[in-house]
Parts: sequence; C-alpha cells; structure tokens
Amino acid sequence: MSVLNNPVVAVIVSVIITVGYFVFVDHYLMDMQGLDFWYMFRN
Amino acid sequence: MGPLTSKRVFSVVALCMMVGLLLLPVVVALPSLANGEEVSAGDAAKKDGEKVEKGRDVYYKTEGIVVGAPAPVTTDGPKDYPRYNFESRVLLWFANQQHLYYGSFVLAVPIFCMIIEFMGVVTKDKALAKRYDQLAYDFIKISLTAYSLTAILGGILIFTFLTLYPAFFSYLSGIFRPVMHIYALMFVAESGTLYIYYYGWDKMREGFLKWIHLSMSVILNIIGTLLMFLANSWIGFMMSPAGVDEQGRYLGNIWHVIHTALWNPLNLHRILGNMAFGGGVVAAYAAYKFLAAKTDEDRAHYDWMGYIAMALGVAFLIPLPFAGYWLMREVYAYRQQMGITLMGGLLAWLFIIQATMIGILFLSTNYYLWQAMGRMRGAEKYQRYIKYLVFLLASGFIVFITPHTMVMTPAELKAMGGQQHPVLGNYGVMSAKNGGINVIITTTVLSFVWYMRGNKVSTVSWAKFGNIFMGVFFFFAYINIIFLAIYGYYIPANVRVGLSVPQVATTLSCLFFMFALNSFMMKGAKQMGAIEWGKISARSQYALIMLATAFTWMMGLMGYIRSSVRLFWHVNEIMRDNSPWAYTHTVGFAANMISFNVLFFWITILFVFWLGSLAAKKVPVEAKAGIPGSVPQPATSH
Repeated sequence: MSVLNNPVVAVIVSVIITVGYFVFVDHYLMDMQGLDFWYMFRN
Repeated sequence: MGPLTSKRVFSVVALCMMVGLLLLPVVVALPSLANGEEVSAGDAAKKDGEKVEKGRDVYYKTEGIVVGAPAPVTTDGPKDYPRYNFESRVLLWFANQQHLYYGSFVLAVPIFCMIIEFMGVVTKDKALAKRYDQLAYDFIKISLTAYSLTAILGGILIFTFLTLYPAFFSYLSGIFRPVMHIYALMFVAESGTLYIYYYGWDKMREGFLKWIHLSMSVILNIIGTLLMFLANSWIGFMMSPAGVDEQGRYLGNIWHVIHTALWNPLNLHRILGNMAFGGGVVAAYAAYKFLAAKTDEDRAHYDWMGYIAMALGVAFLIPLPFAGYWLMREVYAYRQQMGITLMGGLLAWLFIIQATMIGILFLSTNYYLWQAMGRMRGAEKYQRYIKYLVFLLASGFIVFITPHTMVMTPAELKAMGGQQHPVLGNYGVMSAKNGGINVIITTTVLSFVWYMRGNKVSTVSWAKFGNIFMGVFFFFAYINIIFLAIYGYYIPANVRVGLSVPQVATTLSCLFFMFALNSFMMKGAKQMGAIEWGKISARSQYALIMLATAFTWMMGLMGYIRSSVRLFWHVNEIMRDNSPWAYTHTVGFAANMISFNVLFFWITILFVFWLGSLAAKKVPVEAKAGIPGSVPQPATSH
C-alpha cells in the first residue's frame, strides 16, 4: 500500500485503471446497442 | 392485557388494515383483470345471437372483440364544448396544473418521511435518531394540509372536465371504466393510511411499534405510487393510445389500455420529478423559516432541514435528465413526428427554456453547496478551486442552452447567411447538448463530494492514493464526456445516437463510484471541526427558494410541452379536438400562463404552511434540545 501512496505511482496506476475503464465503458455500451464505437477509426 | 400489549395489538391490527386497504382494489379488480370484459362481452353477444365484431389494436396489433363505443366525433358547439366566455382550455390547464402540483407534493413528501424515519430508526446515535424522527414528523405535518387541498383540487378538476369537455371526458372515463373504481378505492386507502400514519406517530415511537409505524409508511407510499401510475396511464393513453382499434373502440383488454408505449417512461420521469419537486418545496419552506427565525436554535434546525430536503431533492434531480432522455427516446420510437415536433419543430423553443431551467437548477444547487461549505471548518481548502467549477458549469450551461436556429428578421438572416449561426449553430445539436448537461451533472457530483469531505481528513492508510485516484477519475470522466460530444460530429447520425449511453454511464460512474469511494475514505476520518448548523449565509437560503421556484416553473413548462405535443388531438390519432382552442399557443402566452400557475401555487402553499404553523406547538418529541443547536455539535452526519 505504501508504494501506491507514492504520487508518481498513484498517478500512473490511476490513469491506467481510469482510461481502461472508460474505454471499456465506451466500447461495451456501444456494442450492446449494436453500434461500432471505433467507426471513425475503422473508416 | 397491559397498555403496551394493547398498543402492539392495535398497531398490528392497523397495519393489517392498511395491507387490506392496499389489496382491496386488487381483489375487487381481479375478475375484470383476469378475464377482461372481452369474455363477458363475447358471451353476452353469443347469448343474444349477435355477430361478434372484432377490431385490431392500434398499438399492440392484436385482435380483440369490440366492447366499447367509437371515439365521438365532436363538433364546435355547446353540446361538445360548452363555454363560459373564456378559453376553456386555459381553465382546464389551470385546474390540472394546480392539482398536479399538490398531487406531486403529497406523493413525494411521504416518501421523504419514509427515508428519514428509516434513517432515524437505523442510526445508533440516539440524539440524531430523535432529530430525524422530528424532521420526518415535520415533513408529514406539512403534507397533511396539502393533502386535503389536493383532494379538493381533484374534485374541481373533474367538474372542469365534465363541464367544459363532456364528450371527451365521457369517452376517456368509458375507456378506463374497468379501473375507475380501483382509482377511487386507492384514494380512500391512501387517505386512511395517511391519517393512521400521522396520528399514530406519537403512540408508535419506540422499539417494535416504531418498525410497525415505518411499515405503514412503506404501504402508504406503495398506494401513493400505484395511484400515480394509474393517473399516468390516462395521459399515456392520450399521447400513445393502445387497447383500442382505429375508431377508438375499446377491445376489452384493460392492461393494453394502461400499458401504453409511454406509460413506463412517464412513470419513472414523474416519480423522479415529484421527488425533486417535493424536496425543493420543503427546502424552500425551511429556507423561509430560517430567514424568519428569531433564535439561533431555530436557525440551526431549519438550516439542517433545508439541507436534508435539498439533498434528497437533488438525489432525484440528478437521474431526472436521463429519465427524460428515455422518455424522449420512446416518444421518437412511438412516433418520430411527435419527437420532431417536440425537439426540432413547433415546441423546440420551449426546450431551450427547459434547458435554461435545468441549468438554473444545477447552478442553484452548486451555489448552495459552496455556501454550505462555509459552515464547516476545514472546507476553506476547497474555496480556491470553486472558480474552476464555475467555469465548467458556465461552459456546460452555455452549450446546453444554445439554440440550433435563431428567430430572426430577414435582414439579420441575410447578414448571417442562414438561420444557423456559423459558429454557435454547431452547439445547437444533441451531441453538444449531451456533453453540456453531463459536464454540469458531473460537476454537481464533484461539489457534493467536496461538501461531504469538507470538514474531514481521511485517516485510511491509502488516503493519498484514494485522493489521487479520485482526481484522475473525475479528470478522465470530463475528458471522456467532452471527447464523446466532439466524436459525435465525425460519425453518422445512426451511430452518433448511441454515444449518449456511454456519456450517461460516465456521469453515473462518477456518482456511484466516487460517492462510494469517498464514503470508504471518510470512515473514521479526522474531523477538522463541527458543522455549525445555522451559520450559513442568507444568500444560500435564497438559492434554495430559487431552486424550488425553478422546479415549479419547469414542471409547469414540461407539463405544457407534453400535453401540447398532441396538437389538435384529444387522444392522439383517435379523437380529434374540434374546439376553437385546438391550436398551439405562442411561447409568450404559455410562459405567462405557467408563471401564473407557479405564482398561484406558491401563494396557496404559503397558506398551507401558515396553517401548519398553527399546530406547531403539538410535537411528538418532548425535548427540542435534540435538534442541532447554535452550539456546534459533533458532525457525525451530514
């Protein structure tokens, strides 16, 4: 736990978790509606 | 039998009676719900040797035996539309709106009572439990007088319908005849339960009896909610009829008539709206009492009351735009043209006003929370960051209220090169607006989180990580919301429409995850100082009054929008409105009418508050010492 309290480590871990979570939310919730979240990037 | 035992027996009997009252309408309705009139009508027809006529449900597309008369074709004359030298629609509008205001209030306040009473029962702090109990009692006391007025206004509404729109009312009541008596019985059950609940408060104050009393509030609220759902089925039927054929003839399945395309979205939207409205009205009452208070003790009590009412109201306000979004989505799914009339056509400007009102609601809430941070030591550290929240809120608000097209003179139109402003016009589309409102709501969540940790310092071993994680989570939530809003401009409309779902999920993630994380972090936190109830600026109380007024105005506006989307139909595509008032009013007239309704409601509710204050001396809790006084108390809870 003390490693996590290091500000640099905390920021890196938080960014990884948060960005991963929001990308998952965006992709999954669009997929659930039968839509392609990556539409622009694929075309 | 000792007095305590007899009290217990009496309480259990009273509770059983309430359950009986709740079940009575269901039992009475069982035969018609189980068989429908379909069977009996079919049997009757067979017995008479007549040919059974079948019709096709306009919505469910199922076949059914015709058991009702077709919708009447009305003509503009005294038979169908009697008149009294005044626009009948305006009279009905007034009667309907006032009944709805009071109905919403008396349905919402008992739900508050239930929540607060439950908080009082489960809390371990005896003094706090007493305060909650007193607060719940104060709430129900306010709603009791309003309840009588609701019933009177309901009576006036029925008379207005019967007198001014007899043909339409006769048709509607004919369609809903199988459940009309259920509505009446529910009303009786609601009244009986409310009075037992109120008058039994003092007698059922402790232990087992208190749980019985709490159970009564649950039953009271189930009855109230069912009552509202039934009333909603009428407006749902008027907007998106079902259970009838294209001539409007009832096909014997009452569930189809009730369960129309828009019924459930309306139910959810109304229940959340009622709660937010009820919270606003009680908060305004507390604000008024705070401003008029002569002693520090009273100021402390009403400050606390205002905060609780506001917090409950806002808790239901936050999901309200999402429920509204669902309703609109269902409207589009039901009839695309209806959705276009609402959001992009005749009524679109009213939605700009609505967006402004929603923005005002959230701005007032945030302003109140920032002011409220002033009554706790340790919250000063957040003050310097508030300007950034103001920036976010103002940006979201400006985008949210930007219209797609402008009303202009020909010269202005020529100068601008079209109805759409070359820059600002881009903000008038749903993609930008979804981004705007989600930024506003996320900022409100952030303000709440700051308020909840205002006077506390987390003592958990991972506090530093928790704080950084929270900051990063909010930062990327904003980035995601804004990214999705911009992304919407680069993809086709059929893909874009789905982006609102992850946007909403992002906002809700902040709400649920960050509230939960904050609660974990603040468990056993070090307190920098007590919350000094009553030590809050007068400006904050005006913000509460503003909040309540904006709620009231917005309810009036949304009711008008929902009703006028039927245009020249009494029942959409089934029964035409042939009265001379079957046109859409100008925005100015509608705004004046809504303002008049708001003013009338607030004048009458002040009268109700005054009546309530006459009985102020009768309180169930002996000592008022339990209320949070001017002397700072340990802030065990917000």
